Amino acid sequence: METLDYLLPQVWFGILALFLFLYVMLDGFDLGVGILSLTSSSEERRSILMTSLSNIWDANETWLILMGGSLFGAFPLAYGTILQALYIPVFIMIFGLIFRAVAFEFREQANRKWFWNIAFGLGSFLAALGQGFALGGVLEGIQVDASGHFIGGSWDWLRFPSVVVALTLIQGYVLIGSTYLIWRTEGELQQTHYKTAKIAALTTLIGAIVITIVTPIVYESARSRLFSQPLIYIFALIPLLGILLIWQLWQSLEKKKEALPFVWTILLFLLTFMGLALVIFPYIIPNSITIYQAAAAPSSLVIMIIFIGALIPVMLFYNIYQYVVFRGKITVDEGEIG
Amino acid sequence: MDFLSNTVVLSRMQFALTAIFHMLWPVLTTGLGIYLVIIEGLWLKTKNKDYYHHARFWVKLYVLNFGIGVASGIPMGFQFGTNWAPLSEAIGNFFGSIIGFEASWAFMLEAAFLGIMVFGWERVNPIIHYIATILVAIGANLSTFWILTANSWLQTPAGVELVEGKYEVIDYVAAVFNPFMINSVMHMVLATLETSLFVIGGISAWYMFKQRHTEFFSKSFKIVLVVAIAVAPLQIYVGHLSGEQVQEYQPTKLAAMEAQWETIPAGQSADWSVLAIPNEKAERNDWELKIPQALGYILELKPTLSKPVLGLKEWTPEQRPHLLGLIYYAFRTMVAIGFFLAGLMLVTIFEWMRGKLSPDIIAQQRWLLGGWIFAAPLGYIAIESGWIVRCVGRQPWTVYNTIRTSDAAANLPPGNVLTTLIFFAVTYTLLLFAAFYFGRRIILKGPNLELPLPGETTPILGVNPGQFKPDQRPTEAQQ
Repeated sequence: METLDYLLPQVWFGILALFLFLYVMLDGFDLGVGILSLTSSSEERRSILMTSLSNIWDANETWLILMGGSLFGAFPLAYGTILQALYIPVFIMIFGLIFRAVAFEFREQANRKWFWNIAFGLGSFLAALGQGFALGGVLEGIQVDASGHFIGGSWDWLRFPSVVVALTLIQGYVLIGSTYLIWRTEGELQQTHYKTAKIAALTTLIGAIVITIVTPIVYESARSRLFSQPLIYIFALIPLLGILLIWQLWQSLEKKKEALPFVWTILLFLLTFMGLALVIFPYIIPNSITIYQAAAAPSSLVIMIIFIGALIPVMLFYNIYQYVVFRGKITVDEGEIG
Repeated sequence: MDFLSNTVVLSRMQFALTAIFHMLWPVLTTGLGIYLVIIEGLWLKTKNKDYYHHARFWVKLYVLNFGIGVASGIPMGFQFGTNWAPLSEAIGNFFGSIIGFEASWAFMLEAAFLGIMVFGWERVNPIIHYIATILVAIGANLSTFWILTANSWLQTPAGVELVEGKYEVIDYVAAVFNPFMINSVMHMVLATLETSLFVIGGISAWYMFKQRHTEFFSKSFKIVLVVAIAVAPLQIYVGHLSGEQVQEYQPTKLAAMEAQWETIPAGQSADWSVLAIPNEKAERNDWELKIPQALGYILELKPTLSKPVLGLKEWTPEQRPHLLGLIYYAFRTMVAIGFFLAGLMLVTIFEWMRGKLSPDIIAQQRWLLGGWIFAAPLGYIAIESGWIVRCVGRQPWTVYNTIRTSDAAANLPPGNVLTTLIFFAVTYTLLLFAAFYFGRRIILKGPNLELPLPGETTPILGVNPGQFKPDQRPTEAQQ
């Protein structure tokens, strides 16, 4: 029983981290493509960008819903406290996602597309911004009382480090969006995104460096964890691996590889993510609430492992199947758009 | 304007607004989903290309609804955390896990196969496509199942134990199969199906009224009729069962639905009021129109009742629902629409049997077709009314008889909630207009009967499977 009380929340921490990673990776490139669409020079290009997402954005976004629902069920206390504390960034994200979602179909139908172009691009940007501030806000720590309820202010999440986190996340999304487009498009459009991917790689790198330096200085909780044995060896490895991956990414962009830049970017995301998870664990709200305090009753966690956890391979299967069905380069027939 | 500084009221208004708006969209995606399964099945079976063109036409409305449904669904789940944190903590063990099941069982299934259903006609063979269509319909209806399970549990909590202010699940089966669950799921599945049928029927009737593609749309019209024969009466019966359950489990709600102030003792004639003007201050109805003994017939099929119907005065004002007029008339609106739709179905069947619906003369049935056009939006009104009865009538409780709505709300600065509420009001108004506008355009444009069957399109696709050609992008072609 004792071990179960520790094991179950840990399993759920892992599952939630997986869902969040899948979301950040998959909807990350959707949002990145959306942000990039703000700079598109023509309607035709924008059409290709949106077409590249039209059949998958919804499945990608579903990982967020799944993460939210699972967090609600597995760590109810954290669900309430985090979302209440992050009221403003969460709603920035929600309104961004609303406009992004409806833009697909409405733009398709509209004669005058400018409004829905903005809805799509700005919606994607706001969603990314909200997520960045939410992540920054959680890393910042949330003020809670003895029973774990939020007692801070509405704007606590808005601090210099969270601004850096938000900007870096947006850069990261632009990077993964660019590399996704390199993979899925061809010709001039592809060439453009070799350039944007390089710029985004540099800006993301700068953000990552700032965060790596700032984290141990600003966040007490992270500092004590970062320099504890044996974790320090892992944390020492992460920047090295990061530099290696960025170098590989750069090489693949130089050599105009098609799928590789996307793969290296995903690995970069994964590495960052593992770093973050290690910094936060065993807390779910850094420095105040551990996963054990926030966890649902063991009976609920077990049932959820059966009804959600066991479905993960199935969900992954039909998501992958979908990518297989729609594989290949996206082109819009030139005769259709003129 | 006290409510502007009352977080509980503002959070309730926001939840009500977002829920009422959200409810409009999944109706078609669940009900029309089933219809698409029928129509695509008919195509595969008969090889009649009209059915294929039907599938391609109706799926456009499906997609239009789907995007807004997804978009407006996101704030529903997140609001439990942002605005109702104490509730989330108290009910998370059960309710939260159910929300997780909905995402993993329903949403992911629907989302993953929707792409193939909408864009995949040229990419997979017809059988795989049909499986995708079926899985989308299953996903959408599973979503109804889980959400109604979760909501029913709030109405009739079972299988749980309150430990230090949190519900712990002691019996998952009992919690899932709580007293309201089966009826509520049935009532909602039938509601989305019936509403979709009358939307499809209404739009088909409009085309025939205008004598556009009359024969084509007489096909969809008749499929609607055949399904409605079973659905419309069954819905009235399931609705009746739900009413009986309300009497048993939620007496305060029944009293509010009937604006019944005084208890009707067992064995006494139970009158039913058709219309009333409830006066909450004076605890009476200022005026009412009653049918003698009708309530007895409604609940037990006899003039008197075997158990008493409790009146509102049995509870103190803090223990019973308010907004009586809303609950009272919402209930009557729902019931009236249910009977109207069933009646319309019967009249139409009668005309069908008299041979008045054959494609060459159906356009002459002006009144009948007019009735169907009029009926198209009614299902939505009935569904919204039903949810108002269900959730406003549950007040002052969020978890019936245990957690008060005022205790469930998070202590947020009212200004924050007011701001998001205003943003929702503006955004949703815009989306509603846009949906009407684009929906109208899809209907005005009509079906594309020239669309080649899958496999008969330009050979490019056969040669280069990498060529991604999305579903007919006609509007862009006109640019």
